[in-house]
Amino acid sequence: MTTLIILFAVALLATFAGFFAPPRSVKIVTLLGMLTALVGLALTWGDRATAFGGLYVADAFSQAVTLVMVVGAILALLADCGYFERKGWPAFEYYALVAFAVFGGHVMASTAHLGVLIVGLEILSIPLYALAASRRDAAGYEASLKYFLLGAVAAAFFLYGIALYFGSTGSFVLGATGKGLVFNAAVLMLMAGLSFKTALTPFHWWTPDVYQGSSTPVTLFMATVVKAAAFAALARVLVAVGLTGPAFYAFAAIVLLTVFWGNLTAMVQGEAKRMLAYSSVAHAGYIAVALFGPNPAPAMGFYLLAYALSTGLAFAVLAELDDGAGVPLEKLAGLWGRSPLLALGWTTALLSLAGLPPLIGFWGKYLVFVEAAKNGQYLIVALALFAAVIAAYYYLKLLAVALFGKPVKAEPVKMSGSAPLGIALAAALVLLLGVLPGIAYGWFSAATVLIK
Amino acid sequence: MIHVLIFLPLLFGVWALVAPQQARPVGLLGSLLTLIVGLLTFGAFLGGNDFAYHVPLLGEAGIYYAVAWDGVGAVLMLAVVTATFIALLAAHDVPPAMVGLALLMETGLLGLLAAQDLILFYVFFEATLIPSLLMLGLYGGAGRVRALVKFAIFTLVGSLLMLAGILAARYLGGAPSFLLSDLTAHKLGGAAGVWAFSAFLIAFMVKTPLFPLHVWLPDFHAENHPSGLADVMGTLYKVGLFGLFRWALPLFPSAFALFQPWLLALAAFTAIWAAWIAYAQTDWKRLLAYGALSHMGIGALGIFSGTVAGGVGAIFLLAASAVYTGALFLFAGGLQRRFGTLELRPTSGLAKSAPGLAALGLILVLAMVGLPGLSGFPGEFMNLLGAWQASPIWTFVGFLAVIAAAAYALTAYQNLFHNAPDKPASDLSSVEWWWGSLAVLVILFMGVYPKLFTEVLVPSAQALVGLLGGGK
Repeated sequence: MTTLIILFAVALLATFAGFFAPPRSVKIVTLLGMLTALVGLALTWGDRATAFGGLYVADAFSQAVTLVMVVGAILALLADCGYFERKGWPAFEYYALVAFAVFGGHVMASTAHLGVLIVGLEILSIPLYALAASRRDAAGYEASLKYFLLGAVAAAFFLYGIALYFGSTGSFVLGATGKGLVFNAAVLMLMAGLSFKTALTPFHWWTPDVYQGSSTPVTLFMATVVKAAAFAALARVLVAVGLTGPAFYAFAAIVLLTVFWGNLTAMVQGEAKRMLAYSSVAHAGYIAVALFGPNPAPAMGFYLLAYALSTGLAFAVLAELDDGAGVPLEKLAGLWGRSPLLALGWTTALLSLAGLPPLIGFWGKYLVFVEAAKNGQYLIVALALFAAVIAAYYYLKLLAVALFGKPVKAEPVKMSGSAPLGIALAAALVLLLGVLPGIAYGWFSAATVLIK
Repeated sequence: MIHVLIFLPLLFGVWALVAPQQARPVGLLGSLLTLIVGLLTFGAFLGGNDFAYHVPLLGEAGIYYAVAWDGVGAVLMLAVVTATFIALLAAHDVPPAMVGLALLMETGLLGLLAAQDLILFYVFFEATLIPSLLMLGLYGGAGRVRALVKFAIFTLVGSLLMLAGILAARYLGGAPSFLLSDLTAHKLGGAAGVWAFSAFLIAFMVKTPLFPLHVWLPDFHAENHPSGLADVMGTLYKVGLFGLFRWALPLFPSAFALFQPWLLALAAFTAIWAAWIAYAQTDWKRLLAYGALSHMGIGALGIFSGTVAGGVGAIFLLAASAVYTGALFLFAGGLQRRFGTLELRPTSGLAKSAPGLAALGLILVLAMVGLPGLSGFPGEFMNLLGAWQASPIWTFVGFLAVIAAAAYALTAYQNLFHNAPDKPASDLSSVEWWWGSLAVLVILFMGVYPKLFTEVLVPSAQALVGLLGGGK
């Protein structure tokens, strides 16, 4: 309950503060609010709280996902500073929208009631449609419109799934027993609706355009916070209905398609944000592999954190290089000579995304693969591992361009405001939690997906 | 002290990276201290202390930070600390960051030698790859990106397959943790064991290397920084034989028995084939790369023989070749400094104007050829002795490779140092005197008194043969 109240209060505060105070102060207020949320989470860690007659349940899994979202939001806030100032965009709405989105994500992660779930989903999505257009140019509007239209389709799928679920079980609450054609159709509909937001193939088509068209801090936010929230909901739904029968085969196909499509398509991209967009699709596939295990929550929570830190770090670096027209690979060349901190952050992020030890990304992959292997899904694990080998190729390519390429312009990158802090922090965490994975795993080990 | 030994180079490596002006003194000091700690550790190990230590890293998942020295680990540890010190001493003109990266690699190598937990081994094994890639990518030659992609893809494919094998070994085998002792107590047999063993085998064949998974090696050496520092570290990183000895064979003895005849043939073929190719090379680094490949084939012949003599010989050869092959790469770096090229024959009759260089070259080349009294001989001899018990035919092929080594190595030596004098060159500089005499000392010591090391290796090899089911 504390976390819910804090996040809501932060969102309101950021909105109203924006009317009176300069954007800079709003940013500090929002950041402080997120830090308060972190403290609130830490104080209530492991406590189970229910409210509104059981509609809202803050259990260990919801806390784990909220932790990831708050960390992602903090990274996004730290990364944005000079970015919007350079564009001359009065950015106070940005902070309010971010805060509302995190609040919506928290609601999504903390309920077993499908009605509440879709309310959370909309609270999360509507700010994002606005955020996607934050660059205020043609690409930004295109991204926003695409995101909105496909998001609306996804919501329609989801609502239709809810209707069928209610029709076959007589309940809006997850965990009701049902069988038969209507129930299976309901499960597939719910799965499809949430696969949009998590960007699982073949529901991922919006991802590259929206990631590329949005301003980079917003992309960072989408890649970390939205994915975490959507996966929380997906896990709640799929574990509650049970991955058996047609749902199992459908989901296995989706996951394998995702890891291969994401990685293979990423290989041929010429723009860094687009490449990372496809990489985020592939990572959605890896996260989903955990759902084949007996208790996916700890592995999933760990992977989400690992992924949020690594991909957040990568986008934070890109935010410093992006002047509004994206980051073609040539622009990365010679990064080492132009800014050692950015090069270090970039190296850490990509090696972690590629899953090389001793970085946190390795342990994330390890845990989800072991989780699926525990249920005997060796084929899925083997194929996903194989896809990870393909992925290593383009991560190395991105890395090689940045470290070993000849720069087009050799001038040093000027970093702004809080960006160096965010990059250093994320890089340190990726390394530290990679060397001592036991710490982060300890946070998530008590989590379970099922709400009883 | 085991943690000090493993992480001391890391500390100095980071220091060298953040303070590039002082990289050379920091690198020398760091590697010297590591060498001293390594020697003390080896002394204590001879006195019966194995420095075993373990603490959970990811307790719930059965992953431990478990380290200890056994015979194999301790001998190779000495090779790593010695060769790293010699290389950092010799490479006085490398970019500062390279010194730091070399020290980071040293930590990774010491860690993977000491690791008693399979996941910890994997972590160190992979972590070592990162500085190695950076060294090649940042300071390599014109074709470095191609070489880098080749090297990275081979290594990563191998190690991800191994990761799958690791998971299978534990979860299908039913071991409670990834500790070596638990895994050998719950061996995975049957068809699953064959698959898992194949995964390990591919990973370690890339890193031995063995034909046909060696193709990254010549490019890796040819494109790396000419000073030879990266080549020494790369040579030390070829831990495939160690991986087979410590992990793959003990974990899957039944699958190994199935593959053994084929593996012996493959090892012998690698030895003779690489020697043949080495003979046709016109570039020092490629010659050395293929020469080392040929020797690794002989080492693999020893390991795959499944005998005590073969196992001891393979690890001894691995340790010895780390020093003499490394020194030869540094020697090639010296030639590059003098003539600006790595061509096999930038001049001839060099013995006239640079007798010291000629003497150093002769000793190193003879060590590679396996002259008795130098460090190459005991390892090769024991390998072939062990292999003979398993397969006389393939041992004969291995013998041919040893003879061929004399042909390619001595021809290269003769062309450069004898015949009619051409362009003269300066003799050994003081730095070269230092590292050269140190390397020669180590080579002589290992050649004259191999007993110190073989005595330590024998119990490890006996344990391995015991796990393989008594052996022949």
